[in-house]
Amino acid sequence: MSNKVAIISSNGGLFDAYKVFNIATAAASADQEVTIFFTFEGLNLIHKQAHQNLPLPAGKEQFAEGFKSANVPAIPELVEMAVEMGVKIIACQMTMDVMNLKKEDFIEGIDVGGAMTFIEFAKDANITLTF
Amino acid sequence: MAIAANEVLDCKGLACPMPIVKTKKAMEKLESGKVIEIQATDKGSTADIQSWAKSTGHQYLGTTSEGEVLRHYLRKANPDEVKEDTKFPHTVDNVMLEKVLEQENTVILDVREPAEYMFSHIPGSLSIPLGELENNIEKLDREKDIYVVCRTGNRSDRASQILADKGFTKIKNVVPGMSEWMGPVEKFQGGDK
Repeated sequence: MSNKVAIISSNGGLFDAYKVFNIATAAASADQEVTIFFTFEGLNLIHKQAHQNLPLPAGKEQFAEGFKSANVPAIPELVEMAVEMGVKIIACQMTMDVMNLKKEDFIEGIDVGGAMTFIEFAKDANITLTF
Repeated sequence: MAIAANEVLDCKGLACPMPIVKTKKAMEKLESGKVIEIQATDKGSTADIQSWAKSTGHQYLGTTSEGEVLRHYLRKANPDEVKEDTKFPHTVDNVMLEKVLEQENTVILDVREPAEYMFSHIPGSLSIPLGELENNIEKLDREKDIYVVCRTGNRSDRASQILADKGFTKIKNVVPGMSEWMGPVEKFQGGDK
């Protein structure tokens, strides 16, 4: 059985970031090989500046307090942990071109690739998730 | 009574997925066969630790709770533990062991780690972990029929061979052992879970 987890991340809010990185780090903890393909707004989650201060969904601002009191790790911390545990991050080249972003705009340790790069990894993944 | 662990990992106050991430890291440093106690306050950790153990092949022993604090016990599996490599020639199965439980002159020797024994063992069985067997030989009566039990029959196989080397003749290795034991057990009743 394959031990690959393939994730597409295409939304750029704080909630989205937790969904993606909690699943990714949990999977990596269980010795799964994880690749996340960041596309469109998902690129926010790995953007050097943007990922430090991701927005809560409109009308849900009151949850900022809840994140603090539940002692949930900050997103940059989770991202760093994910990379350290071998989670592979692919930024979508096409979106980067559209948004005029360069590899240097993103956190260290990422790859840039197209849809096919993700498909090649995902074709025999046991778990595929989209956020 | 406290449950013995070789390592203690403090995950108190941490939210998902941190207890799992920290457990993974701590487990990498742990020696095979050793037991780790993970302290956590995240209520989801009980289910998560069990699932993690299942997917990584490590052994989940149990959880106790005291107020807000959960203590999870895991034993690091040996990579070759799953494959059955029984060499000691004299074995009995679990059904056979159940039949002789009440007989006189029978000793059930449990060679698992103390934490495994604490959570569940056969009533009246004697606990001597495999690693301490050679220093505790005098606790065993050579005249009695000794049934050696562990989780899957591997550690008890090694224990049986150690005893045979020491001149014991009435040794039987129980295969598979506690992992599929359907007979009576004494369980740990501590905590308020």
